[in-house]
Amino acid sequence: MSDDPDKVWPTGLTLREAEEVHSYLIDGTRVFGAIAVLAHVLVAVSTPWLG
Amino acid sequence: MAFNYKAFALNKLASVGPEYLPFADVATEAVPLSRLLRLALFQVTVGAALVLLVGTLNRVMIVELEVPATLVAGMLALPLLFAPFRTWIGHRSDQHRSALGWRRVPYIWKGTMYQFGGFAIMPFALLVLSGFGEAVDAPRWIGLSSAGLAFLLVGAGLHMVQTAGLALATDLVREEDHPKVVGLMYVMLLFGMVVSALVYGALLEVYSPGRLVQVIQGTAVLTIALNLFALWKQEPRDRELAQKMDTQRHVPFAEAWAGLVERPGMLRLMALIGLGTFGFGMADVLLEPYGGQALGFTVAETTRLTALFATGTLVGFGIASRVLSGPMDAVSLGRIGALVGIPGFVAIILASQGGGSLVFLAGVLATGLGAGLFGHATLTATIRAAPPGRIGLALGTWGAVQATCAGIGVALAGIVRDIIVQMPALGGLSPHAPYNYVFAIEIAFLLLALLLAVPGKGKTDPTDTDRKSVEVS
Repeated sequence: MSDDPDKVWPTGLTLREAEEVHSYLIDGTRVFGAIAVLAHVLVAVSTPWLG
Repeated sequence: MAFNYKAFALNKLASVGPEYLPFADVATEAVPLSRLLRLALFQVTVGAALVLLVGTLNRVMIVELEVPATLVAGMLALPLLFAPFRTWIGHRSDQHRSALGWRRVPYIWKGTMYQFGGFAIMPFALLVLSGFGEAVDAPRWIGLSSAGLAFLLVGAGLHMVQTAGLALATDLVREEDHPKVVGLMYVMLLFGMVVSALVYGALLEVYSPGRLVQVIQGTAVLTIALNLFALWKQEPRDRELAQKMDTQRHVPFAEAWAGLVERPGMLRLMALIGLGTFGFGMADVLLEPYGGQALGFTVAETTRLTALFATGTLVGFGIASRVLSGPMDAVSLGRIGALVGIPGFVAIILASQGGGSLVFLAGVLATGLGAGLFGHATLTATIRAAPPGRIGLALGTWGAVQATCAGIGVALAGIVRDIIVQMPALGGLSPHAPYNYVFAIEIAFLLLALLLAVPGKGKTDPTDTDRKSVEVS
């Protein structure tokens, strides 16, 4: 039943639409994750913690 | 039952009528004004980012962080490097394939993320760059590369947001309402810049590293919050459009670009935008020191100069929005804008030659008015000249030309100002002389722009304009 590309699921989205929305979530997580790691490294350089 | 104050207030507001609220008549049944105003919030974040980069951080990096001025100039030039890519972003958004039928939202969202990311790491990068705390012993490249990355991210982000955002705003309204939307977008940009300049000035009055982190990261959070709010439910989800996107041929960038450049008068329009923006842009940073050094204004008075300039610009937007909704040709209005600016700069020069401060103030108001008319008219002309379905590309090209020329203008004006600072050592020149040279250069550029905008038989003949500009320069 998941083969039908035009079926609108209870979310109101088709499979492809849901996958696209999900891809924004994945991209966002990656970018924010990378930014957070970089920010921590920079803070550690100027004011090191844990010794 | 208690009196319903909210309904009463809303009714009163609505009965004021759109004719008394500038730009309020842009709203239609399908796209109410509140929705357009909400969308225009992305311009506020762009304005805040610009002010933070060019104004606030410029000072903080040099004065408080003691980073060498040349390095600061180099860092601040990094976002400018990204400006030409606006053309490409605009094209990509025109050709975007999405199952949701979205063309602009993905790019505004990505741009917002980059802008946020840049601001999130920027304060720490700057602190490392300036050798704060233990960072003195850290290798130099860490501070340099991370600060460079932060500025690049912010630049890339704000160019993406503005290009895709303007394209979305243009998509949303009917063709005859485009001038009003352009006006609204410009006003919100100006609003964002003025408010954020005041807020940053107040917040960073007493500098501390902690305060720097708060201010810049606060901007980051504000950016993502405002842009999310601006973007919410703006671009309709469209299954039919999504299917069309799937089947349509993907137009390569080179082909779309060739199609845009081929349009009669397009190259000329871009040259006009470049020259005019450069001419008006150089004044931005020089008006205040000129007022202070040449005419003896106090600091508080010079700040009011910027307000006067902004008032002129605002009036220019208002006039342009009204006039361009009629039969007026946008390029002719751009010409009028340049025409208003030239006597303005002449008045500014004359003020130091014994004209007095009243002449100066009139000149500032006139240049502001000219800049407003010119900016609005040329952007409207770009939207009108865009081939169907290539609005993003046309707006990207406009942004690339405009941002590059404005940036170079500001940078050049800064260089000239530095030369002025060293002028007393050279001796012999009065304090206003170097400024007047810059204002004269601006007049020359506006004259060039005027010549380009003159309607003539050779409108499609590029060699014709080449000859004209050679004659003047």
